[in-house]
Amino acid sequence: MKAVVLFGLIALAAPCRAAWAGDAPQFRIEFADGKFEPRRLEVPANKTFEIQLVNKGTGPAEFESKQLHKEKVLAPGATTTMVIRNLDPGEYDFFDDFHPETPPAVLVAK
Amino acid sequence: MGQYGNIVFIVWRESIEALLVIGILQAWLGKQGEDGRTRGRKFLWAGVGAGLLGAAALGAAIMLFGDELDDDKQQMFQTGLMLLAAVLIVQMVLWMRRRGGALKRELESALQKAADQANWWSVFVLAAIAVAREGAETVVFLAGTLSAARGTALLSPGLGAAGGFALAVLTYAALQWGSRILNWRLFFRVTEVMLLFLAGSLLLNGADNLTSLGLLPRLSGHLWDASAFLSDGGGIGGLFSSLTGWRARPDLTELLVFFLYWAAMAWLLFRPQTATR
Repeated sequence: MKAVVLFGLIALAAPCRAAWAGDAPQFRIEFADGKFEPRRLEVPANKTFEIQLVNKGTGPAEFESKQLHKEKVLAPGATTTMVIRNLDPGEYDFFDDFHPETPPAVLVAK
Repeated sequence: MGQYGNIVFIVWRESIEALLVIGILQAWLGKQGEDGRTRGRKFLWAGVGAGLLGAAALGAAIMLFGDELDDDKQQMFQTGLMLLAAVLIVQMVLWMRRRGGALKRELESALQKAADQANWWSVFVLAAIAVAREGAETVVFLAGTLSAARGTALLSPGLGAAGGFALAVLTYAALQWGSRILNWRLFFRVTEVMLLFLAGSLLLNGADNLTSLGLLPRLSGHLWDASAFLSDGGGIGGLFSSLTGWRARPDLTELLVFFLYWAAMAWLLFRPQTATR
């Protein structure tokens, strides 16, 4: 029952949240079979912004960051957008979870 | 070899959570008399089947419409599933305790049957969510990896995936074997704790998602950094984190959710038992 109420609350909150992500600044990260660029991405702190994730490789990729609490699976050739809001200034590691041998890159919020 | 080992590890890791839940439910249902063995297990495996269908559908949606899927809505959907799974696991653990006690008294009233009927459906939903959640990622991963490899190159990722799946089946078999070899009471205790940790981890992930959606305040920055001791990033630390809710750099919101959850569990499990419940 509680879960249902929570679902309802989330559903109600959805439209107003999605509305103001539209005109946010956009960044881009490209994946290609275990490599991803840029290795260091500077983003604004305490603001809403979008990151466009592009997989140019022949295999799948997964953007993952424990510190950002984000995971996003990308099929080969796929493009997708991720919204991040209100980051504290600091450094956040991210990596390709389907290629754990590649060292993590870093997102710097300023 | 590196790539091969990766595929084994990823397939195993993606399925370990679902396997824990299914393996424990399967072993537990086996000890629930005729009703649990036949009816209960039907619900469980129907749930697994529904979960596989759900995972395939979700995986296909990600591959076909990945670009058009709204990030926030996807995250809310996932968060809803996580929180629902956490609630169901806790409810399941409490039900297991009650029914375990009731069974000894051979309580076979109509009321008990009705309550069990409702809980068999929880078994179904829980199994379906456990499989569908991580399963969708595995579907995208495998479909992408296998389609990237052509001809003889298909052998290596194909073997890797099979190896990961074999490892998962072994893990599952170990759980079933453990339920036979261990004293039932001890097995029950151990798995109860594992399930409660898993539910706590799902709850924390849900809270993290709500925070990043801006629906829950983040009450502080990182309070401390224990990543040198045990990282919650990739590899073993990441697996440990997803099974227990470990956070190397917790903020106040995470800390509160963690402690409130365990305080609530302690109260639910150790409160004085009343006659009606």
